[in-house]
Amino acid sequence: MKLRSLVLGALMAILLPSVASLADDAKCRASRKMLDLGNPLEVARASVADKKQLRIVAMGSSSTQGYGASNPAFAYPAQLKMNLDRIMPGVDVHVFNKGVGGQDADEEVERMSADVKEHKAQIVVWQVGTNSAIRRTPLDKFAAKLRAGIDIGRKLGPEFVLMNLQYVPAVVALPDEEEYARVMAEVAKEKNVGLFRRFEIMRAWYNDGMPYAQFVTNDGLHLNDFGQKCIGKLLSLSILNAVKPPQLTVEPKPRN
Amino acid sequence: MGRMKTAAIPGVRDLRLDLFRGLALWFIFIDHVPDNVVSWLTVRNYGFSDATEIFVYISGYTAVIAYSRMMARQGWMRAAARIWRRVWQLYVAHILLFVAFIAQIAWVSTKSDTAALIEEMQLLGLGQDPYRAMLEAALLNFRPTNLDVLPLYIVLLAFFPLLLPVLLRWPRAVLLASLALYAATCHFDWNLTGYPAEKVWFFNPMAWQVVFYTGAVMAVLAPNLGWMDRWRRPVSVAAFLYLCFAAFIALSWHYNSLENLIPDIVARQIYPIDKTNVDILRFLHFLAIAWFVRLAVPADAAFLRWRLLQPLRRCGEHSLQIFCVGTFLALSAQIVDAHFDGSLLSQLVVSFLGIAIMTAFAYAATWFKVKSDLKAG
Repeated sequence: MKLRSLVLGALMAILLPSVASLADDAKCRASRKMLDLGNPLEVARASVADKKQLRIVAMGSSSTQGYGASNPAFAYPAQLKMNLDRIMPGVDVHVFNKGVGGQDADEEVERMSADVKEHKAQIVVWQVGTNSAIRRTPLDKFAAKLRAGIDIGRKLGPEFVLMNLQYVPAVVALPDEEEYARVMAEVAKEKNVGLFRRFEIMRAWYNDGMPYAQFVTNDGLHLNDFGQKCIGKLLSLSILNAVKPPQLTVEPKPRN
Repeated sequence: MGRMKTAAIPGVRDLRLDLFRGLALWFIFIDHVPDNVVSWLTVRNYGFSDATEIFVYISGYTAVIAYSRMMARQGWMRAAARIWRRVWQLYVAHILLFVAFIAQIAWVSTKSDTAALIEEMQLLGLGQDPYRAMLEAALLNFRPTNLDVLPLYIVLLAFFPLLLPVLLRWPRAVLLASLALYAATCHFDWNLTGYPAEKVWFFNPMAWQVVFYTGAVMAVLAPNLGWMDRWRRPVSVAAFLYLCFAAFIALSWHYNSLENLIPDIVARQIYPIDKTNVDILRFLHFLAIAWFVRLAVPADAAFLRWRLLQPLRRCGEHSLQIFCVGTFLALSAQIVDAHFDGSLLSQLVVSFLGIAIMTAFAYAATWFKVKSDLKAG
């Protein structure tokens, strides 16, 4: 009797599957327009075409480090690597996590040169803005730091993708969080670097009725497992779009 | 002087401590299984604090109960030696848990050929430099996810012998000092470093000590807390309102319609609700719960002895073993759950099976203890 109910239970568990994960896949979405980085990544494209290699430095603070995820493997840089491995078969992908919790644009500019040099990357994803907004860094100073960081890093070879703020209660409550997102868009345009619109993507989740509990931890600031994984996945699609390796015909199909 | 004070601390086992510590252990297990529907049964979804506060508070409380009488009878030296022996046991348990944790991932990843799990293994920090990681683990600097509660407890208890005599003599002074350290830690953003270099302690001992020592001070003061009852009504009203507020905020994370009702100016005050440094909102939330537990559950409440609740009490009695078993099982549950794509049924099955196994371990531990006590007696 017991054995039978166990077997039955196991069967049901198999037959009832994927409810959560299929739902999670469907929830992880962004419009095609939002995934457009705005600038092609030529250096990365050349490297993928010639050397079949893509090296990415993930520069940033706690989001990058993965604070709030239940496993470091769920942090968006690790997820970025896993997804790129999948959608760019045959390409040797490396993602180096250079996230340090609590750091601000200032501190990241300080270590930009060393961290970029160390890993000979073609792309630097710079997740920034949230701590500056929380600390009320003056906007012009914030913009200057962004420009300085991009200039230092670019001299060493890689192209930049700026990742803007996360849309979470602690950020949304700030009086001027959108100003920081605006400055980042302006600097990205001025410097011809990519912009990954995390803020707008996540705002669309919220406006579509997704509750914060789905993508934010209880502290109201950091991304949880779903948030981290989804951002990693969407970023991989954005980068694939911008690199557009000619030999790859895989078309990313982000949902609208 | 210390002798007089300690005489007041009751010698009877306070069943509330076992029961609620058992409950906290169950909650910690359930909450450590990601996206678990059963976690709606835990405190976490109804306010700011979670089972960690309960566990740390009771640990402080029981530390006083366990070691103050020993100090009164056998002197400080003996008590200190016993506490440090306990610290050593915690350390051994942590290292064993660490090895078992890594071994479980290694076993599953070799058995199932799951590339993602092997990657997780490397990402735990072992891949690049395993020897260094071992060294850092031995030094408590390297603490993979979910293995960070015991190191906190180890640090807190390691300093406890130095504070025990002061605690028994001037409990209020210790409470003040503890609050001051907590405030300074939050203000200056102090933390201890970890490994890899940019990691800090997820449970910052300099902040979390406030929960531990509040528990310890309450244990010392417990016989003389009658004066609190003069304020029973206003405190209860304030605590009740605060719990409602916290529940509203916590539910707003699940319902955007509630979230939209929270004015920005309020949100700006409350967020972020930091766990690393036990945000004051979390601490107050725990205190409000503790206040009502104190009112509702006197130490001699009849239901504490109910047979039905014996599994909880047994788990609470063997908290170290059960904590370790629970942490290990939370990882198993996560793997099983992922295998079934997180289906509702698998969440229910792994949660209840996990609790059943924890309980079985607790009963086995009791059985061993009774056997060895008989032999010793």
